Amino acid sequence: MLEFLAQQAQIFLDIFAYLIPALPTTVAITVTAYLLAVTLGLLVSLARLSNWKSLRWPAKAYVDVLRGVPLLVQIFFIYFGLGKVLHLGRFSAGVLAVGICYSAYLSEIFRSGISAIEKGQHEAALSLGMTRLQVLRYVILPQAARIIVPPAANEFIASLKDSSLVSIIGLRELTRAGREYYSQFFVDFQTWLAVGILYLILTLGLSRIVAWLEKRYRVHGYGVAH
Amino acid sequence: MNIPSEKIIDVRDVVKSFGNVRALRGVSLSVDKGEVVVIVGPSGSGKSTMLRCLNALERIDGGSITIDGVPLDADSRHIHQVRTEVGMVFQSFNLFPHLTARKNIMLAPRLVRKKGEDEARAEADILLKKVGLGDKTDAFPGQLSGGQKQRVAIARALAMQPKIMLFDEPTSALDPEMIGEVLAVMQNLAREGMTMVVVSHEMGFAREVADRMLFFDEGRLVEEGPTADVLDRPKEARTQEFFKKVLK
Repeated sequence: MLEFLAQQAQIFLDIFAYLIPALPTTVAITVTAYLLAVTLGLLVSLARLSNWKSLRWPAKAYVDVLRGVPLLVQIFFIYFGLGKVLHLGRFSAGVLAVGICYSAYLSEIFRSGISAIEKGQHEAALSLGMTRLQVLRYVILPQAARIIVPPAANEFIASLKDSSLVSIIGLRELTRAGREYYSQFFVDFQTWLAVGILYLILTLGLSRIVAWLEKRYRVHGYGVAH
Repeated sequence: MNIPSEKIIDVRDVVKSFGNVRALRGVSLSVDKGEVVVIVGPSGSGKSTMLRCLNALERIDGGSITIDGVPLDADSRHIHQVRTEVGMVFQSFNLFPHLTARKNIMLAPRLVRKKGEDEARAEADILLKKVGLGDKTDAFPGQLSGGQKQRVAIARALAMQPKIMLFDEPTSALDPEMIGEVLAVMQNLAREGMTMVVVSHEMGFAREVADRMLFFDEGRLVEEGPTADVLDRPKEARTQEFFKKVLK
């Protein structure tokens, strides 16, 4: 029995030693893709809230298409389709696919957060002579952030998990490393358990950070009546 | 008196519709520098719409508006220039809930007038004292009463050193015991010579402070004149009817 446990412990140590070097790639894909998604998502949400129909319509189409096609298919399309034309590497293609896909989800979160701020806030700021950009930056977004942060943080966690799909184009992140280990040593149960544990550590860690952020940015007396 | 009057607000034949609703049906009026004008009328008469057109929160469909020589036309620079010189106070205060009273006041001078942090802060503190809230500099709007919020909102508008102040039913959302403190601040402002256009149902305030009263009904300016004349001897039947309901 003791011998069995010792043997299992050795296997796990071995697996973790193999997987951990791939962790930074998973984190790098997720963080880069998410930054791209936030930037694109904000622009798309602003386009959807614009007074100009010629901006609103394409933005809606962008969101509809990206939400309606599986991320896996988008990854194939960007790597094998666009990637061949633009000579994209695996990392760039993976980041681009995850980032663009998540920008659609985030733009909807931004849009609902921004439109939840009452019209009077815009009007007060405009009547003080602020430009539209200043109104957005200093009045609307700081208030919308409180509405946006929790669901947007959920999307970050979801994108971390979905970064595993990028393994399909041969980018050596956590899931890919798991597959490599398995195909070399044929240890299936322990390998996927270890991969799962590593994802769980990352996502649980992130959830804790998000909860802390929400508490940190709570404003006194805000959300009561104003 | 033969002091030459200087028109600071000039409104001519202004028309404004919201869909099928004709909110303003050809309104012309003018306001002299330093004058205090109160606009009264039943709800839906177009008085608030008129006020909101004066700083282009609503765009007019026809006619013209000139503020201190600047036409409110399609040129966005003109709109911006007018807004920096016209302050507005809203019925629902519209303070920025994520900022303290002091920072509410500092924001526009910092961003629009490009004032330094220290100068803007010093001016904000002076303005808060002026509206009787010198001890509330670090309070968030959520911690203030309605009357206090509205006084901060007035201070915030004054921080831009406007030439004109617009008040859109500034006391309508307040509990009765808080109306007085807001009206007192407005009265002081009028005494200092500020040009003011006030949409209000406060007839006592109007009688005491306003030089002129305008009565709106169904999108038209029905009657205007010195406040006491309009209040006590209204000429038009619709004005008489309105005051009969309001003043009883």
